[in-house]
Amino acid sequence: MSDSAIKVEDLGMVYPGGVRALDGVSLEVRQGEFLAVLGLSGSGKSTLLRCINRLIDPTEGRVWILGEEITGAKGARLRKMRQQAAMIFQQFNLVRRHTVLTNVLSGALGRSPLVSSLMLSFTSDERERAIAALERVGLGDRFTSRADALSGGQQQRVAIARALMQEPRLILADEPVASLDPALRHSVMQHIEALNRDEGMTVMCSLHDIDLVTRYATRMVALRDGRLVWEGVPAEFDKATFREIYGEDAQPASNTGF
Amino acid sequence: MSLDSNAAAPSAWEKSLARLQATAVDTVLLGITLLMVEFLVLAFSGQRGPTGLLWSAEQILDLLHYAWAAAGGLILAVLWNLFYRQLGVSLGRAWVRGVPEWEAPLEWTQTLRGWFAAVFIELTFFSGWLITELDLLTFLTKFGKAADIVRGLMHPSGAVLHEGLVLLVQTIFLAFMATAFAIPVAFVLAFPSARNLTRNTLTARVSYTVARTFMNFVRAVEPLVWALIFISWVGIGPFAGVLALWVHSVAALTKLYSEQIESIDTGPMEAIAATGASALQVLRYGVVPQVIPPFLSFTIYRWDINVRMSTIIGFVGGGGIGYILKPRVDLGEWGEVGTLVLLIAGTVWLMDVISAKIRERIV
Repeated sequence: MSDSAIKVEDLGMVYPGGVRALDGVSLEVRQGEFLAVLGLSGSGKSTLLRCINRLIDPTEGRVWILGEEITGAKGARLRKMRQQAAMIFQQFNLVRRHTVLTNVLSGALGRSPLVSSLMLSFTSDERERAIAALERVGLGDRFTSRADALSGGQQQRVAIARALMQEPRLILADEPVASLDPALRHSVMQHIEALNRDEGMTVMCSLHDIDLVTRYATRMVALRDGRLVWEGVPAEFDKATFREIYGEDAQPASNTGF
Repeated sequence: MSLDSNAAAPSAWEKSLARLQATAVDTVLLGITLLMVEFLVLAFSGQRGPTGLLWSAEQILDLLHYAWAAAGGLILAVLWNLFYRQLGVSLGRAWVRGVPEWEAPLEWTQTLRGWFAAVFIELTFFSGWLITELDLLTFLTKFGKAADIVRGLMHPSGAVLHEGLVLLVQTIFLAFMATAFAIPVAFVLAFPSARNLTRNTLTARVSYTVARTFMNFVRAVEPLVWALIFISWVGIGPFAGVLALWVHSVAALTKLYSEQIESIDTGPMEAIAATGASALQVLRYGVVPQVIPPFLSFTIYRWDINVRMSTIIGFVGGGGIGYILKPRVDLGEWGEVGTLVLLIAGTVWLMDVISAKIRERIV
């Protein structure tokens, strides 16, 4: 149990409209792993990731982060646990009208005192850390720009710097490169890989590009209609598995090598 | 979150509730149709009233059989919903439960529902024409009497120019103070009035309902009525006008602000919540930056509206330029009225230009 980063047990989610998004999902991510989550859009990947840090409250099952149960946690305890798991989003989700620096600083909100944070005021130590985080993603010179003045790839790198600022033990990434130009995908993925390799952060990342999965993940799971249908390492992934996950009609893109 | 399959089938209870809603909507529509038909029949029957003259619109409205129409509407609605397989689904059912698949490809002329809607709209227009006593002939031939007023307006008199300018300044400040005091109250009330922020807990849902109901009530009461209330409270003068416009502005701005909050991108909120931030921090970082520019633009627009409204408020004693406009209208001093109207029009035009420029810059 001590090296478990994320543990999910019989997780189920039914949305208020009656749509079932997750059904009896159980999995465990060990510390230091890079777990890729595969599946068609609508298979429940986003819901699964959001149930882990409780942006969405699952209707069934339990979730542990670093051995501590997050399902049922409330208030300060829930926020403390969320700090441990930074999230990266498909749409970057930066505050568009804030500067790049303020966006990165917002990663530290869980630790900053309430009153000064409401006035957008941070300590000089926090500023230095934020600029250091921006330098790591290669944007050290852009900290005064408004977030929406940056390109998509740059915005996602700011989001990674924000995650870094949070000093988390794990990263939850929801299709982090799906809205980026294919040429930029590797540059963003490499930054996430560096967090995993150099900082020892556990990564759980949904991806739909098989190429990226086999290149970066150490282990993968697949969802279909909200159920876990496959679990393995990239080397075991083959044509039959592809059909199982994506259905009989699916065609692997020509560059996936199958 | 688009997800296929497994949508839960509606329960029997939900089904009968939907049927009830559909029938209620149909009853109202069919009942109104029956009333409009009766109205038109009576209007064109040539029957004369007790005075020997033709009935006026009000008299006919008074004669209609409302209870019978309601009963008839109910019977027709029930029948339509019972025999929907033969007649096609009713408007109410289409509204409550959507158009069923087998009728979706039909043109409106191929369904009873479509024809009913068309007839309903026609009937509304013709009864409306008669109820509001539209009279094109009078409109086109009796301009002469109004010519005096128009001539006066086109020859403004200088006699009230000085007094008018002084009160114009008061009017602008009156509108400004009402707007300024409305901002903080509306800003605080806007968050509990926004649907997307008040879905999660019971207290939040209750606060939403309370805030919305209260604001809708306040907004429904005309500023003129508020002015009368405050005039008897604090006396005739601009202060009563400020209070009246303030109350109305709070309600109007709360609605505009909260609708703006409802239309924000929830992504940044999610991202800030995921850092372990508290609810207030999520509001400050995830919501406020997105809504500040539209809030500013709505507020300036509101000031603009308040300048226009304060003229009418002044009519009943709420201070400002309207206060001296009213007696001149009553006395038929059209030249002086013309001066004051020009002053108001010029100010409104100027405020409109300025507020448009400011809004352009900040959005």
